[in-house]
Amino acid sequence: MLKRFLSEHPLRLPHIKPYVPRPSDPSIFWFNSERDDIVSDVVKRICTNHESDRTRLEIALNDAAYHEIRRLETQRDEEARDRLGYWRAMIRRIGKMDDTEQRRVLHTIVTEMTRDVAGNFDPRVYRFARQAAPRLIGGIMEPRRLVTAAPESLDRVLKVQGDLERLRQLQNEGSLVFVPTHSSNLDSIVLAQALEISGLPPVVYGAGKNLFTNPIISFFMHNLGAYRVDRRIRVSLYKDILKLYSQVMIERGYHSLFFPGGTRSRSGMIERHVKLGLLGSAVEAFTTNQVRRVDRPVWFVPTTINYALVLEAETLIKDWLMEEGQARYIIEDDEFSRIDRWFAFFRKMVGMRGACIIRFGDPIDPFGNRVDGRAQSLTPTGRTIDPGGYVEHRGKPVVDAQRDAAYTRELGEVLAQRYEEDTVLMSTQVVAHVLFRDLVQSTPGMDLFARLRLRGEIGLDCETLCRELGEARDRLRGLEAKGRVRMSDVVKEDTPTELLERALSFWNGYHDSTAATLEGDRVVLGDPALLLYYQNRLVPFAEDIASPDQLQAACEIANLGVHR
Amino acid sequence: MSLRVGVAGAGGFGRAIAVASARHGHEVALWSRREHELPDPIRVSTDIAGLRDCELIFLAVPARHAVDVAEQLGEVVDGRHSMVHVSRGLVGAELKTITQVIRDKTVCRRLGALAGPLVADALAEGRPSGAILGTGFPELTDMVREALGGAGLRIYETRDVLGVELASATVGFLTVVLAYAQELGLEPSTIAVLATRGIVEVSRIGQTLGAKESTFMGLAGLGDLIAAVAGDQRPELRLGRALAQGADLSNAVGEAGAYVEGIDVARHMIEHARRLGLETPISSTFVAVSEGRLGQDDAIHALMERRIGKE
Repeated sequence: MLKRFLSEHPLRLPHIKPYVPRPSDPSIFWFNSERDDIVSDVVKRICTNHESDRTRLEIALNDAAYHEIRRLETQRDEEARDRLGYWRAMIRRIGKMDDTEQRRVLHTIVTEMTRDVAGNFDPRVYRFARQAAPRLIGGIMEPRRLVTAAPESLDRVLKVQGDLERLRQLQNEGSLVFVPTHSSNLDSIVLAQALEISGLPPVVYGAGKNLFTNPIISFFMHNLGAYRVDRRIRVSLYKDILKLYSQVMIERGYHSLFFPGGTRSRSGMIERHVKLGLLGSAVEAFTTNQVRRVDRPVWFVPTTINYALVLEAETLIKDWLMEEGQARYIIEDDEFSRIDRWFAFFRKMVGMRGACIIRFGDPIDPFGNRVDGRAQSLTPTGRTIDPGGYVEHRGKPVVDAQRDAAYTRELGEVLAQRYEEDTVLMSTQVVAHVLFRDLVQSTPGMDLFARLRLRGEIGLDCETLCRELGEARDRLRGLEAKGRVRMSDVVKEDTPTELLERALSFWNGYHDSTAATLEGDRVVLGDPALLLYYQNRLVPFAEDIASPDQLQAACEIANLGVHR
Repeated sequence: MSLRVGVAGAGGFGRAIAVASARHGHEVALWSRREHELPDPIRVSTDIAGLRDCELIFLAVPARHAVDVAEQLGEVVDGRHSMVHVSRGLVGAELKTITQVIRDKTVCRRLGALAGPLVADALAEGRPSGAILGTGFPELTDMVREALGGAGLRIYETRDVLGVELASATVGFLTVVLAYAQELGLEPSTIAVLATRGIVEVSRIGQTLGAKESTFMGLAGLGDLIAAVAGDQRPELRLGRALAQGADLSNAVGEAGAYVEGIDVARHMIEHARRLGLETPISSTFVAVSEGRLGQDDAIHALMERRIGKE
């Protein structure tokens, strides 16, 4: 009962005196005063899209009723008791309704759904959160220093890289859309913190409605501009609303965030294929502003979130290996829901310098071109161009959904490429790769699953391992010089022995099983599946960092990325 | 409404595009490194900036010049331009397609690849023919049909740009193989086996790169190969025949009379397949023959004695 109430009526603080935003405030501070207008804009555009064609309208209503009935029949909860009757009655009447009634019903459904999606922004909650969050997270990491030095703990763990000055210059000139890689449910929390400590603006983002059932998380999410995404709803109108809501927010200059990978990377690999729905909404926002002659460009900021230790690594790789990544869109019970794992995770992280690196890549326009600090799109040789030209047809800017879909697909490919180039390789990933490659090399002809069963059976000589680590790192330096990937300072500066010890120390005692352990002068592979997860970050570079006698094993590893 | 069409490259295909576009009443500007005489109203220039005002630019240079010309075009084009290439090659060991090269070197994004059985003479003279355009931009298809099409030319469309480019490049190689087999006097049934299994072989590799199998079975692949076997006198056929007559590769290339990219493409493709653990019996055998590492009889035996699987 309470869960449903909270998910439908998120808590807000009472307003005695409405906050009047100052010109220097980030765009999201205007959100509350514009929310009703945004909702009615979304409703109007969705309804106009459907009302002109009776067949389309009828299909939309039938689709909504059909999917909602199916969902509610499965849920069998209070919401089902309240709403099932409405949808069942409606689906029987759709064919008999006249045009006016169909439009009225459409308007009602779309308005309800859009209101449910729209968030809230309370500057008081924002100010509290920006002061309290580092202390709270730091406190989890080091409880004994909760009051005094907790924020410093967070600084030690979280490093931010990138041309922050350029992003700060752009934030007042147009809409920034942050598009990060996705490894963990912690991503949105650490990213919000990275934006805060970098002097970058707060962003609007979609959050799963399931998160709103926890009253504390719900309170913060709802009041910090998050819009609610109910992944159980399969209605096409609802998907259109989500995309259009995101589009309208970007059109109006609200900086946004979404994870183009759609879901956490199950394999640990860098995302190679991105989902185009929300990405497309940002491209269409650019086009719409051009057609309306509104000078508010849109820029994408490819961002990589790099962890030395991933909270949910075991569940994710298990899911990938079971090839259920597609089917199980929401993993219900993973490490994220276990508070003991949070404590163990953060304690482990805080002992290690720079254990999480957020890298904000160079911003690009919706067509993949670099953008300078003066908000100009550039050619590969540095010539300035007008991005508005991309949406012109015979000299005039026009809306063309098929053209924009093609641009979005191209943008998706650019992002995948940028993710590789902006990935910062961490100690655990490099060490796991060398260990896993040795495992592959020492078991020729064996398939992946047979190798993963070799728990505790393979031991590797430390001296050889350190030599291989040093060689792999030298080759990675070569790739870094060519701009193909990056390494963390730790990977760059540690001796191979330190690197190995650091990785083993990260793994030791956090996951249920240990990826690898030191036994005398040998490193014994404990859980090859965990090694696989961490090493998968290096799949695109496997062949480039192998010596000639390791090449066959490296090819096998590289092929993991081809077939999936 | 008349289009402003640009053509980069004055080889056979570049000139044919310019002539066909002018015949349909469009303004045509052609860029070439050397001076050329072309009928009015085609404007010929050695300054690539002459293409700046064109809405639609055809890149009609061999793959080995594509990087250089794309770099030059990079200083001229912007987001308003659309570009279509007609190259049958790929660039470098990583099998980079020409649209990937254009994307790297220019800011042009409305891109397409025109391929299939269309040959320069038929296009220039307006004889009935057909082609396939790989592009994600339907508006580009409309423009290309407007520029070149009309009653005599059927231009089909697919979104599988990569498939079109890979199929087109690999068919060049398969054409050399089939011409070689024909010149040796092999049975039509053997030619048919080589053609169909050859397409399967290159399509399998194409799919690992992200192309669709169906594209290889359509105009860009099998359709183009049928035109080659029917004898449309492309240079690949001359190269294959010369090799069958005992010429070494460099002499055979000389007899072809034009640069043939197929053998280079096949070498890179074999290397790519080897890394993935895929078999390339026809390509590997024929590259070995073309390099003089395998005799004719040994090549035929090597192929015929392979284990037979399901189709």
